[in-house]
Amino acid sequence: MPDGHHDPPGDPRILGAPAAFSPAVDAEVGQVARHLHTSEPATPTGSTSKRGGLGVVFWIAAGWVGLTVLLALLAPFLPLQSPTFQDYSVVNLGPSTHHLLGTDDLGRDMLSRIIWGSRDSLVISIVSVVVGMLIGGSAAMVAGYWGRKVDAVLNAASFVVLAFPPLLFILAVEAFWKPPLKSIELWKLVVMFTVVAAPQLFRVMRASTLAVSNREFVVAARSMGASTWRILTREILPNVLPAALSFALIGIALAVIIEGALAFLGLSVALPTPTLGNLINEAAQIYNLKANPTAALWPSLYIFFLVVGLNLMGDRLRSTFDVREGNL
Amino acid sequence: MSPKADGQLRFPDVADLNGPILEVENLTTHFQSDRGLVRAVDGVSFTLDRGRTLGVVGESGSGKTVLSRSVMGLLQGNRVVKGGTVRYAGHEISALSPAELRQVWAVQIAMVFQDPMTALNPVVRIGRQVTEGLRIRLGLDRKAATETAVALLESVGIPSPAARLRNYPHELSGGMRQRVMIAIALACGPKLLLADEPTTGLDVTVQAQILDLLGEQQQERSMAMILVTHDLGVVANRTDEIAVMYAGKIVEKAPTTELFAHTRMPYTEALLRSIPRLTDPSHMRLRAIPGRPPDLVNPPAGCRFAPRCPYVQEQCRQAEPPLRNAGPGHQFACWFPVGSSEGEQALAYNLHHKVPAALAFTGTRADNALAAVPPEPTPTGDGEVAS
Amino acid sequence: MWSYLGKRLAQLVVIAFVISILVFLLVHLLPGDPTVTILGPSDTHQARQELLKQLGLDKPLYEQYFIWLWNILQGNLGQSFLTHETVASAVGHAAPIDIELIIGSQLVAVLVAVPLALLAALRPNRAFDRSATTTTFGLLSFPSYVAGVLMVDAFAVGIHLFPASGFTPITQSLTQNLRGVTMPIIALTLGSVAIYFRLLRADLIATLQEDFVTMARAKGLSTRYILTRHALRPSSFALLAGAGISIGSLLTGTFVIEYYFNMAGMAATLVDAIQQRDYLVVQGLALIISVAYVIINMVVDFLLTLLDPRIRRA
Repeated sequence: MPDGHHDPPGDPRILGAPAAFSPAVDAEVGQVARHLHTSEPATPTGSTSKRGGLGVVFWIAAGWVGLTVLLALLAPFLPLQSPTFQDYSVVNLGPSTHHLLGTDDLGRDMLSRIIWGSRDSLVISIVSVVVGMLIGGSAAMVAGYWGRKVDAVLNAASFVVLAFPPLLFILAVEAFWKPPLKSIELWKLVVMFTVVAAPQLFRVMRASTLAVSNREFVVAARSMGASTWRILTREILPNVLPAALSFALIGIALAVIIEGALAFLGLSVALPTPTLGNLINEAAQIYNLKANPTAALWPSLYIFFLVVGLNLMGDRLRSTFDVREGNL
Repeated sequence: MSPKADGQLRFPDVADLNGPILEVENLTTHFQSDRGLVRAVDGVSFTLDRGRTLGVVGESGSGKTVLSRSVMGLLQGNRVVKGGTVRYAGHEISALSPAELRQVWAVQIAMVFQDPMTALNPVVRIGRQVTEGLRIRLGLDRKAATETAVALLESVGIPSPAARLRNYPHELSGGMRQRVMIAIALACGPKLLLADEPTTGLDVTVQAQILDLLGEQQQERSMAMILVTHDLGVVANRTDEIAVMYAGKIVEKAPTTELFAHTRMPYTEALLRSIPRLTDPSHMRLRAIPGRPPDLVNPPAGCRFAPRCPYVQEQCRQAEPPLRNAGPGHQFACWFPVGSSEGEQALAYNLHHKVPAALAFTGTRADNALAAVPPEPTPTGDGEVAS
Repeated sequence: MWSYLGKRLAQLVVIAFVISILVFLLVHLLPGDPTVTILGPSDTHQARQELLKQLGLDKPLYEQYFIWLWNILQGNLGQSFLTHETVASAVGHAAPIDIELIIGSQLVAVLVAVPLALLAALRPNRAFDRSATTTTFGLLSFPSYVAGVLMVDAFAVGIHLFPASGFTPITQSLTQNLRGVTMPIIALTLGSVAIYFRLLRADLIATLQEDFVTMARAKGLSTRYILTRHALRPSSFALLAGAGISIGSLLTGTFVIEYYFNMAGMAATLVDAIQQRDYLVVQGLALIISVAYVIINMVVDFLLTLLDPRIRRA
């Protein structure tokens, strides 16, 4: 994922996702792979995890993420003040029964702004990762299964793209490409995020597909003359699906962070439409921090718990289906 | 972490030692696993006199490697359940703390590990791996340690030893690596050497060289040695005594010549027969022991070898045979021992009833055994067996 | 060894070439007219055409590219057509900030993560390991800008311990410099600590199962010696690779923090240039950042070969 949040995506020891090799690692796969696969999965909850089910942690995380998404979807129907309604009689209030999370410097309701603000963040993050997964994932299945030329070409292409810092790309596009209509702006961001996500997802999915397509049952199906389409959909897809889901969840978490970073810089959806990132940005201006030190806290916590929830889901999913076995 | 000055252990000079250098009594080592308790070593006793060599023989999974590590006290952690006592030169080392044990290791007891490829640190030069023990344990300075290391490498037959100190393990051949490992084990002048499968994975000619080297070093230093192997052929000419292990227990123990001359335990017999001989026809199939060692979480009731034993009778599946004496220093655990009339009867009975283990075991003996319908055998009593 | 380095260098040249094309195309194919920026939206068509000619923007795209490339090869990265500051001088002002933030944060991250990982791996799944593992999992979900805001909230607004913004060059005042970079560095460190801890812990746990560690114990060496002199190095390959990725992504990742703390680093300068359509500066800076990114990866690859003597043979 891009650079707003600097972590090697999908390393099993970091978030439990199967190793996505960076160019640096990839060059020495032979030597490093051993170290990547002998490691015990680093789960946040350690040995309390149970084999079999996804565990309590997963369902708590899923419940939280589900609630967040639901609130965002239902925002127009919730008994919330308009997020842009200004009431100068209640400026910079702390939490109260009227305003559960207090108000900002223009007297707008923080809870409403956060829930409305999560809408654009979630649309951008989820849509771009899902589309990126459809593009990158299917390309990866084709590349991983067919191997040879298709693989070599796609693989080389993904390397070149990944050598280019993604934040640079986003910033450049953001600045030079001003869509004429404001309503398109959201979809411009979705497109940019998709372009960044697809090659990353391609790389991690390619490793998973490679591992699966060399397994006995695939070789057996192939030798029995099953059609390629059938092998891809019936044999390989079900086996890479848990991994794909796990990558997607962690990818969405990263996208939320990066969208937040862009919004923080004022480069995401334009004000006064709230997003999680520009909420933090507004509240974090020194004059606001001085007047209302807690206003920055709520959107920060909201992002944090959303991302923790997504990461936990991805991590538990991976350790349950243990995608670890021989990524390469 | 460093041992206190007053916690310093004192060991008698081995030359002054009365009695055995090592006494192992009812040693057990179990591991807690997800499936249950793994009884890797289950009540093993033996003694070893100074300067003598004991061979411990068994298939992989018989617990022989765990035994050697338990004797040394190397197995630590909350999943290890230990029992029994190990006494080294009068000290009960099984009761020592990890910090105290460190005083014993290398200087008193040292170990040669199975696979030098994995037991030598791949990213540390040979030089440091040999000298670090000398410097830290014996307090030698850099120069003295290096000189000693060169002498050590030379004594284990490594050509141009000074140059080798700069090498990494992967730059040496398998045989050379094993020599380095032996040099490391010998570095601090141990009085007892545990060699755990020291020749596995080496060429046959190199195997002999390494074993000869161990023998020479043992002679020169009058060390005691425990030689752990799966190959009875390896220990045949190089040990004073042999203990045969099966499923965590010693099933037969005897002075080497006695063991080969008067094998009692069917498992020992099977091991002996699995050694290829020069006199065998060149394309003869190896007589491997059919079946696998038992599950150490749920070992079979009765004799643990029963499921694979050609002599097996109902009695063997019911009751575990105790270790019994058969002449000076010779002990075995079997109800129908090899070479006894009960044993012959049991085998004949099994052949007649076409017990698979018995049929697989005999090639030529089957014909005469089948000549007459044998009576059902009865086990030997608890007394000594006439040989 | 030398052939290995040579091969890597050749790769670098090819990748840098590809990146230069990408950077060039990115800037030139996107809509937006530099003449509007310079002359304002109301100027005449003719004035624009003249300016285009003056800037060389009327030539075919490939020609513009080769002129740009040729200049770079001669050491001329171009200059701003707005301020006429050369790209090289802009880099000279901006780069020290990034270098200090990146080196500082990564140094702190390693100094914190390595001892934590050593302690955790020594007794896996015990209380210390559990709490460290859980904490770092939380840190991974903690964006640097959130950390920055909360710190400013607490330490700059609350108790005036550190300045909320600005960068003082180290040559001017060391203490002012350190006071200024403390919070940005901590904000950037948190995520790296989590990554380094988790990478090293997992590999250490695996390494401590290895035979050579048992062998080192059998030599009677102390636990501390074994951890630091035997287990650490063979457990650091993934850590090093992770550091490469981390540093690489910080080249642009510091931007969010630089923006908030009002420090004009490379990425901040780049974004300014982007917003002003100062396309030559954009091209120059983007190229430098991308190539630095690739170089860091290659340096890491090279360090990996030093760390693991087994690679050198290949």
